[in-house]
Amino acid sequence: MTLQNNMAKNQRGEAAPSSRMTGRERQMGGFSLLLESSDDEGPEEVTFEDSKADARRSMKRALDTARREKELLKEKRRKRQELFQEQKKRKLLSAEVLEEIDSTKQEQSHVKAEEEAEPEEVEGRKRNWKQNAARNLKGNYTVTTVKQSTLASSQLKAAEDFLHSRMYGPGSRRTTSNEMLSLENKMGKNKSAAVQFVKKNWACQKKAKAEKLKKTWIHMQQIPSS
Amino acid sequence: MGEFKVHRVRFFDYMPSAIRAMVFSTRTERLALARADGALEIFNFSDNYFQEKVLPGHDGRAVEALCWVGPRLFSAGLNGEITEYDLENLRPRYTVEAYGGPIWTISVNSQGTLLAVGCEDGTVKMFEVLKERIQFQRNLDRQKGRIISLSWHPSGTLIAAGMMDMIRIFDAETGRATHRLLVDRGAGASKSKEVVVWSIAFLSDHTIISSDSAGKVQIWDGLNGTLIRTHLITKWDVLALSVSQDESSLVAGTSEGTVVQFQFISSTVDRLDKDWVRTRTFKNHSHDVRALAHTETAVVSGGMDTQLVVRPLLDKVEKNTRESAMRKVSFPHRSLVCCAKKAGLLLFQFPDHLELWRLGESDGYGKLGGSLPVKRGPEKLIQLKRKGEDHICCSALSPCGGWLAYSTVTSFRLYRLQNGSISICKVSKLPKDLLPAHQLCFSTNSSKLFASSSNSSVVVVALNELECKYLGTLKAKYGCRQPVHQLSASDNGKWLATANTDCEVHVYNLDKLKLHCTVPVYGSCPTAMAIHPTTSNLVVVHADQQIFEYSLVKKEYTEWSRRLQKQGLHSMWLERDTPITHVTFNPKNPAHIIVHDMFMFCIIDKSLPLPEAKNVLYNQMALRSLPEPDRVLHSHGFKICKDFQHLLCVSLLEDHSLVVVERPLLDIVSQLPAPVRQKKFAT
Repeated sequence: MTLQNNMAKNQRGEAAPSSRMTGRERQMGGFSLLLESSDDEGPEEVTFEDSKADARRSMKRALDTARREKELLKEKRRKRQELFQEQKKRKLLSAEVLEEIDSTKQEQSHVKAEEEAEPEEVEGRKRNWKQNAARNLKGNYTVTTVKQSTLASSQLKAAEDFLHSRMYGPGSRRTTSNEMLSLENKMGKNKSAAVQFVKKNWACQKKAKAEKLKKTWIHMQQIPSS
Repeated sequence: MGEFKVHRVRFFDYMPSAIRAMVFSTRTERLALARADGALEIFNFSDNYFQEKVLPGHDGRAVEALCWVGPRLFSAGLNGEITEYDLENLRPRYTVEAYGGPIWTISVNSQGTLLAVGCEDGTVKMFEVLKERIQFQRNLDRQKGRIISLSWHPSGTLIAAGMMDMIRIFDAETGRATHRLLVDRGAGASKSKEVVVWSIAFLSDHTIISSDSAGKVQIWDGLNGTLIRTHLITKWDVLALSVSQDESSLVAGTSEGTVVQFQFISSTVDRLDKDWVRTRTFKNHSHDVRALAHTETAVVSGGMDTQLVVRPLLDKVEKNTRESAMRKVSFPHRSLVCCAKKAGLLLFQFPDHLELWRLGESDGYGKLGGSLPVKRGPEKLIQLKRKGEDHICCSALSPCGGWLAYSTVTSFRLYRLQNGSISICKVSKLPKDLLPAHQLCFSTNSSKLFASSSNSSVVVVALNELECKYLGTLKAKYGCRQPVHQLSASDNGKWLATANTDCEVHVYNLDKLKLHCTVPVYGSCPTAMAIHPTTSNLVVVHADQQIFEYSLVKKEYTEWSRRLQKQGLHSMWLERDTPITHVTFNPKNPAHIIVHDMFMFCIIDKSLPLPEAKNVLYNQMALRSLPEPDRVLHSHGFKICKDFQHLLCVSLLEDHSLVVVERPLLDIVSQLPAPVRQKKFAT
């Protein structure tokens, strides 16, 4: 920021370059003292007032830059806060729509379009909302309380999660039943293929995908020849 | 013999639950097993490993550990409760809240007076074992981590507790923690994860053996609190440990499915310096081994692959005998399928719901071994979800397909099915004597329902259009306390036979509602029985594979049965390791008895000669290759078919077609949770 400021000051032709040059001059002056020791010229006189003014200027500049930075940050924060407020309002708005008893389809689709314009973070909320909308469409629905989860059941769930994470969590180096059975097929006395090829009703999705790929490939082959 | 049209049923998605904990009682020779859905099973190891009792599960019971205190069974679970079970009525007797959060482990001292439980909040709670209940005594010093495993020193003065990253030794009298043994974390990536001491054992010479999630079995000196030896047996977790009674052998179960045995032996011939040496490795499981029991002669293991494996140790039993064979229990030893013979319907019992299916139809005629075209496929008619949190204990379907009943430990439900079994309506006013039952059975004409109750008694109710009336209770003789697990009604509606887990078989006269006779007690528990429709002979099959036929009219064993006992059953028949779970008869041929176990079904023809010891038992394939006249010379009465595997039920419908319900084990394995990834060379 300081560099930019200096450059800006340069464009404006302010005192910065001069102070720099003064600094350089001073340095060079120092050198000149050493190199041209026989010169009769006396050192440049820099009055106390001048140096005081210089110091004050540099301090002011520093304060200015700090203040500007703070202001910029403030601006950013304000903008972000506004954005959040906006999103919150939008969410509340969708709840309002839900609370209406007779909401027409058009209105819903209009609000849906608004929803789609939202950023990625509210994806989850959108999905919830859509589900709620589907339920609302049917008309009559009942409200029931969720089963109270007691302390014991939450502790039980936590203990089971601990056990599950130790046995099947990250770092447990596990594989699938398919792989294990396929390994047995390959290492057994009568070697055969992996289980998903041996059994007809295994890995249906993969087989469907493979079929589709095969068909596309054949189609592609046929196009240039036709 | 006969040709049958076979309905090959594979749409029963039976899925057993993973084994979570097990404990063996040397005194009673019983193994208690807890499954992930809260169900408990008792196996009688002295009776051919028969699954004697099954206590149904409960949502949220989450049993983590079991404990025998003499003949009493206690369990502790992640719901924070300690439960004692009533093994005569197959239900929990009472539960006690431990108020320590989820309970991870339970252990009793060798005197049988104090029960220690390890809780999530870091406390070890002591409960006094009283006559009818347990009472909280005190907490030991509270620790900062959860207590995962506990072990009492045989003297009852010290307790070793396995926690996260460490083992603590407590003085049981003062409650103070005396030693802290720090357990190393794993190398590499597991350095950042805490190591969990999954299992621990405290031996009488103050040696502590621990197994942890870093794959180590460590031997510690409990007096000084120092590490003696570390054995790294696997890259994954070592989840279970079990020490033999005489403390000379120890087994450890891993996540890979291996069971590693350590023995306290000396490396040289003289017995001066004994040490724990790794001896055998058993790989009998494909998934994690979570529960182990070390009996005197065998190692019993169970885990996520839901199978119970009993591996006899060859230094304790004679080689190449029936005792030395490895046993695997994959399916329950009771029937989960009920077949309505007249209506062609099947009822499947799941822990949380029931499914009613109608069998498909086929018109065509095919040749032997071929499959017929299906005209109308099987269809699921009703899926009935149970009410409440208890799992279904037993269920039954009437032969006409008009009535359906099921029972849990707390409730009993009866339903009427109409319009060809499509619509269902609940029968509301049930007689109050109809308590929750262990076994249910409908009479053949669907007019009566029999429900077994406490003290080996049976409640009889009459069924009318939409209501049910209490008729009477059939009481066994005084002193019978064990539950009835087999019920069989005769086709003519005159007799009812019951068998309880004490091996007592009673037959009642239904016209008079009184006890008719008691079959002489045979040492092995009955696994299946049925009454012949025309001859009124009761056929009982026992857990040791013996078959008896008892005439109810004459009150004595039949001539065929005596002949069978005199000659003895074929050795191949006796060596089968799964019990017969269903007996049925052929209406077209009164000399036939149809039985099945998990791997075969057999039609016993009483009119043919019995197989002698030198004959081949499984001779169906051989007979088919012989020319017609020779077949008669070589055939014997036991016709075994192994074409269908793995069988859950074989039944004969009224139209003389066979129903075979199969559940291939591969389908069960494919739905199990993830096994560990083993890197094998060249794969």
